[in-house]
Amino acid sequence: MYLYSLTLQRAGGIVCATNGNFVGGKTQEIVVARGKNLDLLRPDESGKLQTLLSVDVFGAIRSLAQFRLTGSQKDYLVVGSDSGRLVILEYSREHNMFHKVHQETFGKSGCRRIVPGQFLAVDPKGRAVMVAACEKQKLVYVLNRDAAARLTISSPLEAHKSHTITYSVVGVDCGFDNPIFASIELDYSESDLDPTGQAAADAQKHLTFYELDLGLNHVSRKWSEPVDNGANLLVTVPGGGDGPSGVLVCAENFVIYKNQGHPDVRAVIPRHTDLPAERGVLVVSAATHRQKSMFFFLLQTEYGDIFKVTLEHEGDRVTELKIKYFDTIPVTTSMCVLKTGFLFAASEFGNHALYQFQAIGEAEDIEASSATLMETDEGFQPVFFQPRGLKNLVRIDLVESLMPIMDMKILNLFEEETPQVFTLCGRGPRSSLRILRPGLAINEMAVSQLPGTPSAVWTVKKNINDEFDAYIVVSFVNATLVLSIGETIEEVSDSGFLDTTPSLSVSLLGDESLMQVHPNGIRHIREDGRINEWKTPGKKTIVKVGSNRLQVVIALSGGELIYFEMDLTGQLMEVEKHEMPGDVACLDIAPVPEGRQRSRFLAVGSYDNTIRILSLDPDDCMQILSVQSVSSPPESLLLLEVMASTGGEDGADHPASVFLNAGLQNGVLFRTVVDMVTGQLSDTRSRFLGLRAPKLFSATVRGRQAMLCLSSRPWLGYIHQGHFLLTPLSYEALEYAASFSSDQCAEGVVAVANEALRIFTVERLGETFNETVVPLRYTPRKFVLLPKRKHLIVIESDQGAFTAEEREAARKECLEAAGMGENGNANNGEQMENGDGDDEKEDALPDEQYGYPKAESDRWASCIRVLDPKTGNTTCLLELQDNEAAFSICTVNFHDKEYGTLLAVGTAKGLQFWPKRTVAAGFIHIYRFVEEGKSLELLHKTQVEGVPLALHQFQGRLLAGIGPVLRLYDLGKRRLLRKCENKLFPHTIVSINTYRDRIYVGDIQESFHYCKYRRDENQLYIFADDSVPRWLTAAHHIDFDTMAGADKFGNIYFVRLPQDLSDEIEEDPTGGKIKWEQGKLNGAPNKVEEIVQFHIGDVVTCLQKASLIPGGGECVIYGTVMGSVGALLPFISREDVDFFSHLEMHMRQEHPPLCGRDHMAFRSAYFPVKDVIDGDLCEQFPTLPPDLQRKIADELDRTPGEILKKLEDARNKII
Amino acid sequence: MSTFGGDSWGREAHHRKRRVDDLMLSSSSGDAASSPSFKKLSSGKFVCLVCPHNPILDNPLMLSMHNKGSRHIAAESKARESELSKRDESKKRLALSADSTGLSNSGNSRQQIKNVMFPNKPLIQKTMKAISESQCKNVDNPNAANAGHCSNITTSSSIGDSNYTCTTDGISVPPRNITGTANKILADWNSELLERREKELKFTAAGWKRDCHGKWYRDENVEFDSDEEDPNMVLE
Repeated sequence: MYLYSLTLQRAGGIVCATNGNFVGGKTQEIVVARGKNLDLLRPDESGKLQTLLSVDVFGAIRSLAQFRLTGSQKDYLVVGSDSGRLVILEYSREHNMFHKVHQETFGKSGCRRIVPGQFLAVDPKGRAVMVAACEKQKLVYVLNRDAAARLTISSPLEAHKSHTITYSVVGVDCGFDNPIFASIELDYSESDLDPTGQAAADAQKHLTFYELDLGLNHVSRKWSEPVDNGANLLVTVPGGGDGPSGVLVCAENFVIYKNQGHPDVRAVIPRHTDLPAERGVLVVSAATHRQKSMFFFLLQTEYGDIFKVTLEHEGDRVTELKIKYFDTIPVTTSMCVLKTGFLFAASEFGNHALYQFQAIGEAEDIEASSATLMETDEGFQPVFFQPRGLKNLVRIDLVESLMPIMDMKILNLFEEETPQVFTLCGRGPRSSLRILRPGLAINEMAVSQLPGTPSAVWTVKKNINDEFDAYIVVSFVNATLVLSIGETIEEVSDSGFLDTTPSLSVSLLGDESLMQVHPNGIRHIREDGRINEWKTPGKKTIVKVGSNRLQVVIALSGGELIYFEMDLTGQLMEVEKHEMPGDVACLDIAPVPEGRQRSRFLAVGSYDNTIRILSLDPDDCMQILSVQSVSSPPESLLLLEVMASTGGEDGADHPASVFLNAGLQNGVLFRTVVDMVTGQLSDTRSRFLGLRAPKLFSATVRGRQAMLCLSSRPWLGYIHQGHFLLTPLSYEALEYAASFSSDQCAEGVVAVANEALRIFTVERLGETFNETVVPLRYTPRKFVLLPKRKHLIVIESDQGAFTAEEREAARKECLEAAGMGENGNANNGEQMENGDGDDEKEDALPDEQYGYPKAESDRWASCIRVLDPKTGNTTCLLELQDNEAAFSICTVNFHDKEYGTLLAVGTAKGLQFWPKRTVAAGFIHIYRFVEEGKSLELLHKTQVEGVPLALHQFQGRLLAGIGPVLRLYDLGKRRLLRKCENKLFPHTIVSINTYRDRIYVGDIQESFHYCKYRRDENQLYIFADDSVPRWLTAAHHIDFDTMAGADKFGNIYFVRLPQDLSDEIEEDPTGGKIKWEQGKLNGAPNKVEEIVQFHIGDVVTCLQKASLIPGGGECVIYGTVMGSVGALLPFISREDVDFFSHLEMHMRQEHPPLCGRDHMAFRSAYFPVKDVIDGDLCEQFPTLPPDLQRKIADELDRTPGEILKKLEDARNKII
Repeated sequence: MSTFGGDSWGREAHHRKRRVDDLMLSSSSGDAASSPSFKKLSSGKFVCLVCPHNPILDNPLMLSMHNKGSRHIAAESKARESELSKRDESKKRLALSADSTGLSNSGNSRQQIKNVMFPNKPLIQKTMKAISESQCKNVDNPNAANAGHCSNITTSSSIGDSNYTCTTDGISVPPRNITGTANKILADWNSELLERREKELKFTAAGWKRDCHGKWYRDENVEFDSDEEDPNMVLE
């Protein structure tokens, strides 16, 4: 089996982010690392974050930093990754890609203790960069420029110190003196040698300054001083004339200003009033804002509160350090303050946000200061505050992120054309159920009912130079309705259009005259109101029309084509006639090219399954240039012109070209390239869009011509980041559409369907899925489907949280105490109901934003929820009592018992992970569905000795994995009855799948075990296991002998029991063999074989075999912790395998990954890759320069076009 | 030329060997036309059809090397064995069917004589009877042996057989000629057996065990409901 791996939705989570001026010019951009992806983001004029570039680097990005050489206008990006290399990147605006400027190898690849890459620090003046490991090694590179102003990099200077752990590294701003780097270090050499533990208890963190002597070209430890043992983060303080220099040390509960030769200035971080006393406050992310005259820092704590830190200083002496409460936003991994007044918050989990500054915290608020710091016997006096609504920030955009995907199911619950992907995402109060549908999201602007069923709709401008459309013209069976677009849309009668007849086409002709084509003639409305009418000869009627700004072609019944052209006086003149062999099915003229008199090509589709290209040139007017036969009569044609592009905002280089698109009656969209000179057709592609014949319309997307295809669902074909994408829209089936532009909606679409007129815009271009969000209460763990009622049952649990009642009580108390006072009301509008129903609506502090109040770490809150996915309503929510938390769930039908389908939930009471994993008790709850599956009723609960992490139905009974025991339960009157068990599993059972009488058990550390249940002996036998100890995170049953699994190191693998072994097991009639056969070293007698192995580079949490397109082959879909969704598609032909493996090989050689990790090494990071071809790498083929593309294509004996077609086909087979 | 630049014969010998292997390969593919042990792919590579995981080999040399390997040989002998047993089985059945049809047309004496004279008649009357009886049982009782994976196979094969075998007292008759009563008795008896076996299985699955006297007792590691049926009573 060979598989093609493709990422369908890129990771949403952000590991680190930095901002700078990468493009050049005045704009500010943000670079974010999403695990193995590097994205360049920029807020546009309307404050929406746009992705300029997203590139897969095939390596784990661990740190990012930005620097600028003095006097330069543009920033460089330094990337620390697992490649054992330091990479400096420069963004190239012309090609819209990152260029590798330098790649310096310093160590082994992989995330290792002593190989640098975890921390990066740059000198604020851009003269040096330090890359450090978690332990021991630090390397400093000197950056400079040569005579041609190119960036140069020195060989590395070592600043190693063995037996030290590094916590944080920054560059100290000391103007143009020798560069200095500061780090927080802990020396463990003595602790290592002292067996009593005394030294370990006494170990002390130090703040160390390393100086790079540019003259001597070496690095020395300049200064080292003890700091608080809670110190975890350093922040550079501006220096060199702008400030006092030095660093801020963020420690538990304190922020300390430190510099060499300067006394410490310390201030306490204010804490929530309701925070338990033993919990400290740690700073998790920091951002600096600097202007010429002032600077301040924003520090965010682990509870989400942002504090503004300011320093009072006279020259180099800092007199006071102030920490003032600023605002509270969800906890971030990093924050970026842009000079344009935006704050980008990369959330730790869930959606990221872009905020705009309303104020910079000048107003009165709670403040801790070094001047008022009080030391008492019990330590320093804390400062308390209560979080309030947003005052200084206002959220203007949201970047969706599925991180982390906890569970996923692909089901077609809504009976749509394609299945929906149900994902459980997020953590704590920000968790949600997200329903993903393949397709672009739609923003519906207006829907209005029309009198009767319209057949067509057009929009026209009054003048070519107008920005917006003037009329919407709707045609009915026997009438035409004209609506004018203004403040409102209303019917008009003075437009000059004939309203007693249906229309075939309405368009702008010339610069400012209008044309209406109806079955009996052409009506030409001049700008001064004069009307010219052309009547059809005899009894013939017009059946089809094709037109552009200067040319009109009509097809009369019987197959006669008449060609009109607009002359210099603005008259429409008949130029040529042509008799086609039969009736014309459809026709189209390309738009007039820039600076030309006419378009050269006319495309005519006939019912004899052909499309002809006719010339419109005066020399060979109406001559047939080429003929293309197609599989079914064409229904609609569209000539799509793609402008020449040379990079820029979103585009690779490509020359101008014309594409002929045809919607065929069998639902296929047929696309081919028209040669600009000869009119020959080449490079044909076809794609099945739906059951109805696609109708094609021209639309505008981001200022470029795009194509709207209306089949049984609408599709949009557009150019995104240089590639043509054809994606479905998540909208109902439409009849007819036209582009629409008004001052409320610059690039919209007006469409008719049934009796309504709809206006909508398309959002989030470039996305594969659009999502519907249903908020949940706690971190979701797993969910199951109740198949008959189509309800979802979700289990949610959170550690260190209060239950809903306790929270409610605390909130009431708090509100009473505060008297509903100054707590702001800025964000009432955006809060989401969290499933509690009633009184949370008027809550000023939504938990999504502020998080739940913190409890002790052994406290659990958990609930079971029954959800109707159609409406998103929770029909039943059971909050578990007594510190119980749910961990596993399944539906079960017990044989010959009266209750029908029951729900089994495995819970643990008082589970603790630290200092040792302990549990007070485990339970299996059995619930009955009442009220037609809307609600649950507890039947009984059975205590078990461990946490039941896996449950599954098996032959009318319940299989449970409880620690290392696999047990079979039957339903009893008061409890579950233990019927059979096998205690021979190595660690902890985390997954159970069954098929016929086989049971596939996944162990947390030891991969899969294949078992068999023998009814005549009432025994469970393990007959095969894996030889590789895999730490299993997800499992899915593929076929009788095959299982797919994912481990916690980011690998996906398939194991298969060899056919002969499988036959042997099944042909064991006496059962003696399976019973007495013994393996070696406590293993099973037989071993499964690994048939597929692939490193994803991200922890896979869920796997499922499904097909995302109607009639498509099944593939394995996976979801990851970072929020990406991918697919593995099995190849069906050997030729494809050969082709793609060769393409992959060439891509590996010609296009090595950006961060310096070898592609093959990355995909084989833990185990050698086996039989999987990396589609993500292959899909980078179009981003290569044309000559390289040609070179690779030559070696594969193909053309670049054919390769692109292959890639497109492979993708279309999946989605 | 050898690596040392001399005119070593080693290389030539190697070539010769390779050529012989090539020829051997093509000849072996020729003689075993009924079931070739390998297949040449369109890509020019070879796939071994004998080994269960169907390895793909780049050239004839590698294929010949593979064919000498222990795994291949083991797989080959296994395949041959199964082939033989299959042939045996089919022979048996063929013979049986020939017999039964022969006997059923007992009116045609000439046929009978021909049957008697049939030189390699493999089964004596008694064996035939036993086989057909057991096959008869199989027809009615397809799942009895072991439920699960095998059941499908047995069902399908027994359906195939059921067209022509059912013997009573040495006279075999095609199924449609069986008198209704005889069939019914047999079926009843079988279904009863089946039912009883199913009941017993249910009790073993529920955690009951049998002692050496055939008495049922509860497994001490298994839990039971208070009102659970006692097989000692039920199966009496």
